[in-house]
Amino acid sequence: MRILVFILAMMFLPSLAAAQETGGVPSPSITKGKGEQCVADTDYMRRYHMKELSHQRDETMHEGVRTKQFSLKECIACHATTDDSGQPVPINAPGEFCASCHEYTAVKVDCFQCHATKPEQKKQAQASALFPMTALAEPEVSQ
Amino acid sequence: MTALFTILFYAATAILAVGLAFKVVQYARTPAPLKIPTTPAPVTTGGVVLRMAREVILFESLFKSNKWIWLFGYMFHGALLLAMMRHLRYFTHPVWEWVALVQPFGMYAGFAMLAGLGALWFRRIFVQRIRYISGPSDHLMLILLLGITGSGLAMTYVARTDIVALKQFMLGLIRFDWQPMPSDPILMAHLGMVIALMIIFPFSKLLHAPGLFFSPTRNQVDNAREKRHLAPWAAKLEAGGE
Repeated sequence: MRILVFILAMMFLPSLAAAQETGGVPSPSITKGKGEQCVADTDYMRRYHMKELSHQRDETMHEGVRTKQFSLKECIACHATTDDSGQPVPINAPGEFCASCHEYTAVKVDCFQCHATKPEQKKQAQASALFPMTALAEPEVSQ
Repeated sequence: MTALFTILFYAATAILAVGLAFKVVQYARTPAPLKIPTTPAPVTTGGVVLRMAREVILFESLFKSNKWIWLFGYMFHGALLLAMMRHLRYFTHPVWEWVALVQPFGMYAGFAMLAGLGALWFRRIFVQRIRYISGPSDHLMLILLLGITGSGLAMTYVARTDIVALKQFMLGLIRFDWQPMPSDPILMAHLGMVIALMIIFPFSKLLHAPGLFFSPTRNQVDNAREKRHLAPWAAKLEAGGE
């Protein structure tokens, strides 16, 4: 018993010093969305966003019910960021909203084999008229 | 809750590590006075290494003695390995490449564990001969493992937890920079049972894991005729000392 107490003490003592030195625990960078609030409670979204997205997919694809609350397109519209030149960054690029947590926990995302990773852009309409190929390269798949 | 689990995790880790080290030393020091490899046995050291490898990887002896126990035992242990590899993602940052690769398969390993454990428990309850020799700890161990598996599956398929926060909590434990634990009841049950398992490990039949390597009938070379087997303490006796 005394040995145990000793070992525990040995484990905790250096930790107090270490806690101040280390720059903290590595964490994903979660970028804030553009809107005020997510479509559901954050705690809920962290746990169940994947269920809601596949549920939404089933309803849309199999039953033709198109609702907005858990639409992937809206997720991307709100959570995508833009780079320095104002161009949207793919939401599954390293460090972006989807990728940062999914890499952190080694969970694959299979949304983007079909779906677009950038928000639909109204302003880009003229640009894509000039460069039609870029418009083709980024098919905008609607939900 | 976070504080309680933090302390429990450190205590359980210490008990597991120290207890296991103590047991391994004890096993290593236990005399094996006689040459008793189960024949046919390998006659070279290399052969023994191969035999132990087959024992560890394929559960050879169990296969030879009972096909049903082997089937369900192997199913459980294989799935357990896969599930544990999948759990490494909570303890490593960045997640190792091969862990990310096996991660999706581990999701189904839980069902194989459940099936294997269920069958082994069924055997303890309904096979009269086995029921007779089963002590309370045999049943409780299976119940504990079933509980861990069940709660793990429940978190994957029913009531999910915040695994990002969970990984932060785990990395915090390792780096001594404590982070809050998500307070989902199933997660607490899962981790609580894992802590119990870690604490029980060095005092229970779960020691068959390290113990396997110290089985004289499996780890001895069959060379009694070529080389006389003399335990150190016996050599001392023979030399006239006490």
